[in-house]
Amino acid sequence: MTQTRSNSSKPAIISEEQQTNTHTNTYTESSETLAEKEPELMVKKRVPDWLNNSMLSSPAPVVSPPSKSRSQSPPPPSSSHHDLLGSYTSKSSSVYSYNSSTVIQPPVPIPPPTFIRPEPPTKPARTPRTDFRDPLTRISDSDNDISSSVEDASRQTNLIQALSRKIINMRELRRLASEGIPDGAGIRSTVWKLLLAYLPCDKALWSSELAKKRSQYNQFKEDFLMNPLLKVSVASQSEITRKLEDSASLQNGENTSAGKGLLPRSEIPHGEHPLSLGKTSVWNQFFQDTEIIDQIDRDVKRTHPDIDFFCGDSASSKANQDSLRNILIVYAKLNPGIRYVQGMNEILAPLFYVFKNDPDEDYSRNAEADTFFCFVELLSGIRDNFVQQLDNSVVGIRSTILKLSLLLKEHDEELWRHLDITTKVNPQFYAFRWITLLLTQEFIFTDSLHIWDTLLSDPEGPQETLLRVCCAMLILVRRRLLAGDFTANLKLLQSYPSTTNISHLLYVANKLRSHHHS
Amino acid sequence: MAAYRADDDYDYLFKLVLIGDSGVGKSNLLSRFAKNEFNLESKSTIGVEFATRSIRVDDKIVKAQIWDTAGQERYRAITSAYYRGAVGALLVYDTSRHVTFENVERWLKELRAHTDSNIVIMLVGNKADLRHLRAVPTEEAKAFAEKENTYFMETSALEALNVETAFTEVLTQIHHVVSRKALDAGDDPLGLPKGQTINVGSKDDVSAVKKVGCCSA
Repeated sequence: MTQTRSNSSKPAIISEEQQTNTHTNTYTESSETLAEKEPELMVKKRVPDWLNNSMLSSPAPVVSPPSKSRSQSPPPPSSSHHDLLGSYTSKSSSVYSYNSSTVIQPPVPIPPPTFIRPEPPTKPARTPRTDFRDPLTRISDSDNDISSSVEDASRQTNLIQALSRKIINMRELRRLASEGIPDGAGIRSTVWKLLLAYLPCDKALWSSELAKKRSQYNQFKEDFLMNPLLKVSVASQSEITRKLEDSASLQNGENTSAGKGLLPRSEIPHGEHPLSLGKTSVWNQFFQDTEIIDQIDRDVKRTHPDIDFFCGDSASSKANQDSLRNILIVYAKLNPGIRYVQGMNEILAPLFYVFKNDPDEDYSRNAEADTFFCFVELLSGIRDNFVQQLDNSVVGIRSTILKLSLLLKEHDEELWRHLDITTKVNPQFYAFRWITLLLTQEFIFTDSLHIWDTLLSDPEGPQETLLRVCCAMLILVRRRLLAGDFTANLKLLQSYPSTTNISHLLYVANKLRSHHHS
Repeated sequence: MAAYRADDDYDYLFKLVLIGDSGVGKSNLLSRFAKNEFNLESKSTIGVEFATRSIRVDDKIVKAQIWDTAGQERYRAITSAYYRGAVGALLVYDTSRHVTFENVERWLKELRAHTDSNIVIMLVGNKADLRHLRAVPTEEAKAFAEKENTYFMETSALEALNVETAFTEVLTQIHHVVSRKALDAGDDPLGLPKGQTINVGSKDDVSAVKKVGCCSA
């Protein structure tokens, strides 16, 4: 506490949230802060107390202040996804159109193509270079509900404008996207494809690029999924074919005179007998593949079991499951070193959900192919976490978890000490899932999409941003953690409060970045 | 502060681990026991999950701290940390998938490599409700359990069949081991096996804790 509460540099720029909130949030302030709460001008000279602000670490059980507690009230638990889906598609159908087939020329002259310059690591423009310890407040009043929806609308306008350029300015797009992409209008679907470099920034190339990729994916599917030798890996497959051909031609050669009209009987080399247990046997490969496919099937069936899109009884839900399954199998085939690791389904699900729900029919129809390539791209940045052989290397999951621990130590040593030393809550016990699954199991689904907007916007890949968000998650519940013992803390972190205000979480996470750089 | 503490009213804290192949129903056994809940399709477990429940064993309150781990091989290296301090294990297979029973031997080997030799192990054949799909005969599993000197029970987390009994049995056996050990330790202080130390008044994360100042009946 001593270190983290020291009154350090004042913000040079007062953020929007601070401006709009210093006077509205008294109802959740701790008595301690209330006492300080003179009608002062903005936040000057206040003792930074945000770490202990009850708004940041709401006590358990989370008691929502009457009626106007959260700027983003969480969607109703059960039917929400359906509703979302409905509004998602209906909203968009006619209003905006910015896909490859119907490019709307921007009314303004196209800016010079600044995109050619290599992108320096961008910081979201709204990030003031402030020390994160300065008083943080959140949008928490009903007034701000309005202002935040206005903000949403303008964000949407800005994004649509950014997408309407002939050449997308990726820096601008990353900056806008990192602040969150409004649901609806299919914007997220297009933006994610750009962020994952699946769509090139030159829109003139989109249709040819898409056509190429989609046909490539169909070829993969044909090779790995449609083939009668379905479950045999590529290498062994061609090997079998070759051997079969060899033996067939050999026999044909021998039998040309005698055995006309008889189908040649191919000999099965000793090692290829189904009962052969040799490691090199194609059948061994076959059995391994079956195991992997069974695992994929099991996990696909339990991907977001609470969301109809994935696990409903309708034909479309089944078709969606098939798509997830196809993608995971093709990926496993193409990446024999990694194959399928449990949890990949969770990484895949948000991509497919967003792309499949694109209001543009062509995009929706091709969602599986598009998702595949975006999945490959996303995974290329984080797959080391999935590889057991790398667990103890500098790129493996353990060292990533250690980085989180160090980040927490740097920003909130008291909390770090309490978790790591006093209550001995090994970060592996909670952060393993947070990190490997990119936070997809910690929040309600739509909230994870919002977090992903920010993760995917980082030109360096998602990991550093992810670690800051994880660190912010810890800081946001610091009061409860500091009061908890091993059991209470582990339970809290393994089922993180789903009522968390995601915008605020991301805001705090971003503050950690500024702090880091200052 | 006290408000956030887990229920403190117990005499012993025992750490149990649930292990076994992916999809055999470990998480549902846990949620059935800890919360009396069951999900037909629940998310796959990544990393580790954790729940507690206190029950009465003999005349003592025993708090079970149960760890549920991912089933896939990839996660075993990570999960080895979770074995630390475990005094009981439920090794689960799926009665309708023989391959999950075949893998029990590997799980057992790994379990024994990472834990104290006094660990109480129960082989659990889950999904016993899938009677028409049975692939592992009860006798086969029973014979295996006898050979390996483990307890054995068939359960159904879906029908809440034997789940309570299985956990209670394991906790009771652990309690017996611990009580016996406490006696032995009285005779010979050096005889206390390591890894299963009965720490007096220690922290929450220790395997078998005898609480200080607790009024034993």
